[in-house]
Amino acid sequence: MRNPLQILAWLLVLAAAAAVWFRPQALVEPGDLMPAHRSLAVDCLACHEPLRGVPDARCTGCHALADIGLVTTRGDTIRERGTAVAFHQGLAHPQCTACHSDHRGVQAYRPVQTFRHGLLAGDVVNLCAGCHVRPQDGFHASLGDDCAACHDTGDWRRARFDHARWFRFDRHHPATCATCHPAGAAAGYTCYGCHEHSRAGIRAEHLEEGIRDFEDCARCHRSGDEHEAERRMRDGGARRDDD
Amino acid sequence: MHRSLLRREILPFLFSFLALILFTILIDAALHRAGLVAVGRWLGIPGTVLILASFGYSARKRKLIRRGGAKAWLRSHEVLAWTGVLLVLVHAGVHVHAPLPWLALGAMLINVLSGLTGTWLLQRSRRRLEARREDYRAQGLSEAEAESRLAWDAVSYSLMRKWRTVHLPITVVCGGLALIHVASVLLLWGWR
Repeated sequence: MRNPLQILAWLLVLAAAAAVWFRPQALVEPGDLMPAHRSLAVDCLACHEPLRGVPDARCTGCHALADIGLVTTRGDTIRERGTAVAFHQGLAHPQCTACHSDHRGVQAYRPVQTFRHGLLAGDVVNLCAGCHVRPQDGFHASLGDDCAACHDTGDWRRARFDHARWFRFDRHHPATCATCHPAGAAAGYTCYGCHEHSRAGIRAEHLEEGIRDFEDCARCHRSGDEHEAERRMRDGGARRDDD
Repeated sequence: MHRSLLRREILPFLFSFLALILFTILIDAALHRAGLVAVGRWLGIPGTVLILASFGYSARKRKLIRRGGAKAWLRSHEVLAWTGVLLVLVHAGVHVHAPLPWLALGAMLINVLSGLTGTWLLQRSRRRLEARREDYRAQGLSEAEAESRLAWDAVSYSLMRKWRTVHLPITVVCGGLALIHVASVLLLWGWR
């Protein structure tokens, strides 16, 4: 090997290997460790195991699941308890690195949103309010705790609520919540207030037909089609699809 | 003349490199769109295997392998290395966290540019040699005279030799850094 460039190349590789061996944090560390773990910065194998990465046992050795959010690793009681840590006690299969990346470089690319609800045991997964703050709008305030009736954990923002089960929208009855739910409450609604839907007019029209129970309009009128109620009555009475 | 130089020599050289970058972006975007980003991380393995397989050409040249023609081995070297580098680029495109993978990636790209330059020099030498030989024959020169005049062909070959003195060290740096990267991943990464 007389080529001086080749000798230089081998020297460069050897220097890189030596740097990785003696100061791994300089070349292979994906960003600084989080402040609480800074003392481990020069000891990669404090958390990493050859071929196994960071086994959960290395984390739970210091952070017992039963203590997370309640007691610090030094044994001090945590006074300000956040809702976001309560689920740790309900984890069926702890997989710490699925959510936590202690190196700042990784954290930027893999934030904690990668939490999988499948890790939660049994009924804990249904206790949404244990970790999530209920939406503050009037619509959600009027609903119960069964979030899963409309939402799933795959895509929280996209609800699968099917309004057509109660009332189908059309161009005269657009999907503007406040028109029918003026208080923002989902459970209650009103049809009064729009053009001929006055309480007195509706009362007179229904009494003329011998209908005395007409307060729950959508029970018979499932859309803007005024003849639909007649057809439904003829076909066996007014029933909800889910009755 | 200038147009011919651009079309026959410069454009294929640029096309090969730009196609590499373009395919990397397209595959990376497709993986992100399909929610298969994690697949990209594993592409480093087949990519490395293909690059290692491309060294069959070097083994053939040093007669460690005796089967197959040199031209076919050279073509396999180009195709396997290009494809392997594409997979490694997609693997790296997912995200590079630490300085060492960045260095290995940079060395690999320099190696690719160097390899493409070598391909370009070789094709150029061949074309010039053949053109000159025909030229001398047309002039009615004897084979011996033609050969002596073809002494300039040493220029071409010495150019290739000079290129090799640069390409091999770049390959050593690229391979060495990649090896350290793989070793550190084996040591620290969780295979799950």
